[in-house]
Amino acid sequence: MATELESPPDPGQVPQWELELQQVGLVRRMLRARRWHGTDWWFVAISSVMVAAFLVIAVFPQWFASHDPLEQVGPRLLSPGELPEQEILVVPVDGSIAAISDFELDVRTPVAVAQDTPSSDAARDEADRITDEIAAAGGEGRVRLRIARFETVGEALDSVVAGDAVAAVISSTAFDDLTADFPTLQSSGAVSSAAQDATSFPLGTNQVGQDVLSRLIWGARIAVIIGFSASIASFVVGVPLGLLAGFIGGKTDRALTLIMDSIYAFPGLILAIAIAAVLGPSIFNIIVAIAVLYIPTYYRIVRGQTLQSKEELYVEAARSLGAKSKVILGRYIFPNVIPSVAVIFSVNVADAILTGAGLSFLGLGLPPSTPDWGIDLARGQEFIRSAWWLITFPGLAVMLVVLAFTMMGEGLVEIFNPKLRER
Amino acid sequence: MVNEGAITGERVTMGWSLKAGEVLYSLRDVSVDYGTRTGLVKAVDRVSLDIRKGEILGLVGESGCGKSTLGKAMLRMTRPGKISTGELWFDGVDLLTLSQRRMRELRGARLGMVFQDPMTSLNPLSKIVDHLTETVRTHEPKVSEAAARDRAERLIGRLGLREERIDDYPHQFSGGMRQRIMIALALALRADLVIADEPTTALDVIVEAQFLDLLRELRDEFDLTIVLITHNLGVVAEVADRVAVMYAGRMAELASVSDLFLDTKHPYAQGLLRAVPNIELDDAELYQMEGAPPNLLHTPHGCAFHPRCPAAMPICSDQQPAFQPVVGDHHAACWLYEDHPDKGGDGGVR
Amino acid sequence: MHPLLIVFLIFGVPAVLGLAWVFLRGSESLRRYILTRIALTVPMVLILISVVFLVLRVMPGDVVSSTLGPKASDATRASITEALGLDDPLIVQYFKFLGDVVTLDLGDSFIGARRPIVDELGERLPATLELIIPAAIFALGSGILFGTYAAIRRKRPADYGFRLYSVIVYSMPIFWLGLLLRLVFSVWLDWTPIAGRIDVVTNTTLDRTTNLLFVDSIISGNWEALKSVLHHMILPALTLGLVLSGVFVRLTRINVIETLQEDYVIAARARGIRERAVTYGYALKNAMIPVVTVIGLQVAILLAGAVLTETVFNWPGMGRYLIQRILLRDFQAVQSTVAVFALFVAMISLAVDVIYSVLDPRVKY
Repeated sequence: MATELESPPDPGQVPQWELELQQVGLVRRMLRARRWHGTDWWFVAISSVMVAAFLVIAVFPQWFASHDPLEQVGPRLLSPGELPEQEILVVPVDGSIAAISDFELDVRTPVAVAQDTPSSDAARDEADRITDEIAAAGGEGRVRLRIARFETVGEALDSVVAGDAVAAVISSTAFDDLTADFPTLQSSGAVSSAAQDATSFPLGTNQVGQDVLSRLIWGARIAVIIGFSASIASFVVGVPLGLLAGFIGGKTDRALTLIMDSIYAFPGLILAIAIAAVLGPSIFNIIVAIAVLYIPTYYRIVRGQTLQSKEELYVEAARSLGAKSKVILGRYIFPNVIPSVAVIFSVNVADAILTGAGLSFLGLGLPPSTPDWGIDLARGQEFIRSAWWLITFPGLAVMLVVLAFTMMGEGLVEIFNPKLRER
Repeated sequence: MVNEGAITGERVTMGWSLKAGEVLYSLRDVSVDYGTRTGLVKAVDRVSLDIRKGEILGLVGESGCGKSTLGKAMLRMTRPGKISTGELWFDGVDLLTLSQRRMRELRGARLGMVFQDPMTSLNPLSKIVDHLTETVRTHEPKVSEAAARDRAERLIGRLGLREERIDDYPHQFSGGMRQRIMIALALALRADLVIADEPTTALDVIVEAQFLDLLRELRDEFDLTIVLITHNLGVVAEVADRVAVMYAGRMAELASVSDLFLDTKHPYAQGLLRAVPNIELDDAELYQMEGAPPNLLHTPHGCAFHPRCPAAMPICSDQQPAFQPVVGDHHAACWLYEDHPDKGGDGGVR
Repeated sequence: MHPLLIVFLIFGVPAVLGLAWVFLRGSESLRRYILTRIALTVPMVLILISVVFLVLRVMPGDVVSSTLGPKASDATRASITEALGLDDPLIVQYFKFLGDVVTLDLGDSFIGARRPIVDELGERLPATLELIIPAAIFALGSGILFGTYAAIRRKRPADYGFRLYSVIVYSMPIFWLGLLLRLVFSVWLDWTPIAGRIDVVTNTTLDRTTNLLFVDSIISGNWEALKSVLHHMILPALTLGLVLSGVFVRLTRINVIETLQEDYVIAARARGIRERAVTYGYALKNAMIPVVTVIGLQVAILLAGAVLTETVFNWPGMGRYLIQRILLRDFQAVQSTVAVFALFVAMISLAVDVIYSVLDPRVKY
């Protein structure tokens, strides 16, 4: 119900603080907006923080990821927070052997392991390491092993007791379980004498031993690249076309709208799949495929807004004053279009990331070694029974990012759209 | 239960027993507040008004003076604004004490409202007959579908529309016809009081004239009391019995129509009348009041009109004048007609 | 009778009946509109199918070589090329293609099973339908219910709750939701089966007439089969339905909020109409009109989601078939499947337009 003043503010009618308020900057206004918009303000605030955090992670993944996402940094399929098992050397109590370095050189020493465990690798690694040490010190001779595999840990230990093997290499937890059964055997410590920090991984490792968390962090970069590139591409193509069609009208408008509507009505993912399949696997082609999908969205909104603005009285007035089309388009119509486009953009990025993840989930586009959320999800499917963390976290990452952008867009819509305000 | 009219002190009695001229609806000291981003706006500021049975009361003022809000307040439909002070006496009861349910029962049945824009006031998906029968059967559930339809047809006919058209949709009617339909809706249950909020603003002059004639006829035939909210003084002169003038959310003047036009008291009202172009006068320039209506966030101290008033006195910027009788039933809120110990000297004369 | 035909009958007959009813009951202009609209469907489908054709023909690389592999002899390549008619000029190929589509001669898939594609689709289209329909019902129902509730309780906890729900559900990648549900209900809780449409054993007892297993089991009174079908159907349908419901909740909410602020709603309240009647008779009815227009577009999301859901749950529908064929570079099959999708979209679009024109009396034709 407040009425505007038509004459210059009279000090008797407009208090000083109101004048000052109008001079105060954007930040102050934003904070005051909190009281007015209430919960919606929180929606936008929280999601903006999330989006900012995500962008920082995506641009500088190396600051946040503690491991290389392509390297095997741990044992396979380690669950989150679980410590990898240590391989220990088990020797007879009264024997003279305490470590692999005690083995005779150039003799194939029999060592017992349980099959299908990393034990043999651990033993061999240590043997090689010692051999290298010797060579580096100028000596000669090699530590050689003859690995004997047994079905169970128990059988491996039996062979040591029987004297067929000089030592056994098994996991520490396995030995802990059986130590009572083998009183003549003892653990002489970790096989590898190199200092080994047995670290756990906060989100576990995948089937190739890569750190899930690091892959997630690097995956953010891919997601951002795809999401933003596709959205910007759609924007760059869709907005001018929409402006053109709305402004010029006629046959151009009809033809363009027909094409755009056909694309819009068609199931997006299927179109993207088709395009990606046709163009071949590469990140660029994925971006193109997704971009094509969203061009009609920008086109329609911009065209609608343009048509509406075109009919506004002030545009007619400008035209009657002789303003050129370019000026009308740039000065009157474009600024009206911007708010709605800004809101679409954030939702668009969210959608693009979602579609991108879907495409890579289906196996179309990115090289299989790329640390990408969709790929990780797809590869984790086979281990759904044994390793639940492989599918949970990549999907969660996608959801959080999409959520952040969508919430931001949602909140902005509520704040910008005057029709949604109560009368 | 009876009560007294706020201004006149006359009795406010039960609707059905009222005789013409008795107070039907009395607003006492009513204020309506709106919360905005930058502060509290008093759209209506302590207004008192008595409405008499059988009259057509014109409620005039510029855009933003609070007249529409006052009309809505009479039906307790000021959302999101709040009625912060005052009482609304109708039918022996303060409406502000009623439950939502009771209030809903009054609306449409005893109190009716006709809105400004006939284009958007009707449900585009419902036929006219459905609008009417729904209203009837909501308040009188015992009425059968057929009887309700019959009533609707007769009502439509009385209002000058062809009865066959009752099965048509709103978009098939013109603006003037739709306003008649709105009146029909207000009359469907024989409301005592109809508040018409700028009913002719969206209509062209000829249709407007027909509409006003219709209002008068209906008032006589249906025993109606009408509050006619408008910014058009011509409409008021044409059809109103009494006129109330509002400014900046407050009552400025209240008089019979002839008294208002011939013996205007409040300087604002005087300015309004002076501004009406007179085709016979040879004036080189049209009269225009100085200044502009105030920002309701910062209503001027004292009398709201004082910054623009040619007759302003020192006391006007200091104290708010009371809305009280000047001559008989002719009320005005102006220090020109009120005595006060602080009032110094002889103020500007008209 | 061919299963595809049966499916078309099941949906086609009520559709035609509905159209006939609208036609007879409606005004002259409505009839004209419906006829025009039906006529428009033909060019629309034509455009879509032509795009499919073009896209697959202008692909880089030689279709035949990449399909047969580098080891195929020149002779084999030549004979296959001739058999497929790939050495004819493009125009000739195009018209032959159109002719094939009309006669439903979709060719044979020449990779893997080497079955007529029509048969493959005949099995898979009903599977996809059995997934989409329950999902759509769930999504629409919950969407409208929650959306309206959120709109009338605006700015209160319920409103924010539902908005949060819809935003979260919409942000979830559908394949992730599917995998999670599978993890929880199939792997951990063992409440639902891991994959497939029906228990393998029970399958042998079921007579498949339409390939709509739900319908088939009811028709033959095979309650064991019905139980198994429902048991298998629930997770995939829930997955697809949940994601879509997020969209509908948002849509309904915004439209109901806007209609609640319209003048005619306020005028109705001023007449003392009960709030319930105002919400349903005035606000919701009017709000549904923009929602209906968007429903048509949501079918696109539904189909896209179906593709992903079918992949996750190993559901033998058209979506999964499409992906498999693309990865195997079986272009004949891909072409035909996309064409069927296009037809589907066109028909839904037609249905939506007709429904819209019936609902809104203001539409001038």
